[in-house]
Amino acid sequence: MGNEKKLNLGGQEFESRLLVGTGKFSSVAVMIEAIKASGAQLVTVALRRFNRERPSDDLLGPLAKLGITLVPNTSGARNAAEAVRAAMLGRELSGSRFVKVEIHPNPHHLMPDPLETFEASKQLAKEGFIVLPYMSADPVLAKRLEDVGCAAVMPLGSAIGSGHGLSTAAMVRMIIADSGIPVIVDAGLRAPSEAAAAMEMGCGAVLVNSAIAAAGDPVAMAAAFAVAVKAGTAARQAGLMTQSDTAVATSPLTSFLSGNQA
Amino acid sequence: MTITVNGNKYEHHGDGRVDQLLAELGSNPDAVAIMVNDQVIPKIERMGVVLKDGDRVEVLSFMGGG
Repeated sequence: MGNEKKLNLGGQEFESRLLVGTGKFSSVAVMIEAIKASGAQLVTVALRRFNRERPSDDLLGPLAKLGITLVPNTSGARNAAEAVRAAMLGRELSGSRFVKVEIHPNPHHLMPDPLETFEASKQLAKEGFIVLPYMSADPVLAKRLEDVGCAAVMPLGSAIGSGHGLSTAAMVRMIIADSGIPVIVDAGLRAPSEAAAAMEMGCGAVLVNSAIAAAGDPVAMAAAFAVAVKAGTAARQAGLMTQSDTAVATSPLTSFLSGNQA
Repeated sequence: MTITVNGNKYEHHGDGRVDQLLAELGSNPDAVAIMVNDQVIPKIERMGVVLKDGDRVEVLSFMGGG
């Protein structure tokens, strides 16, 4: 799915194949500059209870000015019913049909619950949402999520916020090989080279949050990810060379310096 | 009337209209989503909702998230 010019999600097209999250930034100002530097057109946000003590904490205002599409997540939901409610609340605020289904009841590893994720995704796709489910890198589940109408699947590279990179590479390759919808690696990426590798494999996009927000210079790192995703996409489209188990010479091997030529 | 707002007991002195409650809380009505007794209330239907004693109200806004 990495061979089309634009990323197509639920019939909507995007130039940028880098999605970014808005968590963990040191300030709203840094977050806004990082989003601009990333060139991202799809940006994830979470829901939380309105705080009377800090009414100005809201992110909707600053993000609305960027002309991006918001993708509310369902973080905090422990089951499908809660995720569906969170998605509906998110849609009220974002005005977009996009939702990132995210159901990870165990705070230790934050691994997505496959059964609840499947159920919530199925219901939300029926309701007309553009559903992007965060999931384990499981090719069987990926196909099932595609079958119930998800616009993409988002297998994890490694645990959320861990920075362990694309440890699921082999499984992600299998998902891509069978998928009729874009595959977006979400979670665990740390270095831009990992994002480039995901794109070279044929991912439709990558979603990055911690790697940018927790970088020494988040704005510069956002720009670095943008370049890496473009390079990986271009490499995929150019077609990587075939691998060989033996050396394949790039220079002529005739030994004209030996003096014993026939 | 006594209602629950975001998990805390809250004494509401108005007539129970949701937009009045939001003003009381100091929230920007365009930047919050509302749920009453686990039911999502779409923005266009807010005007028609009247809270009653014991209702559970959730007022939610966007925060950073991945």
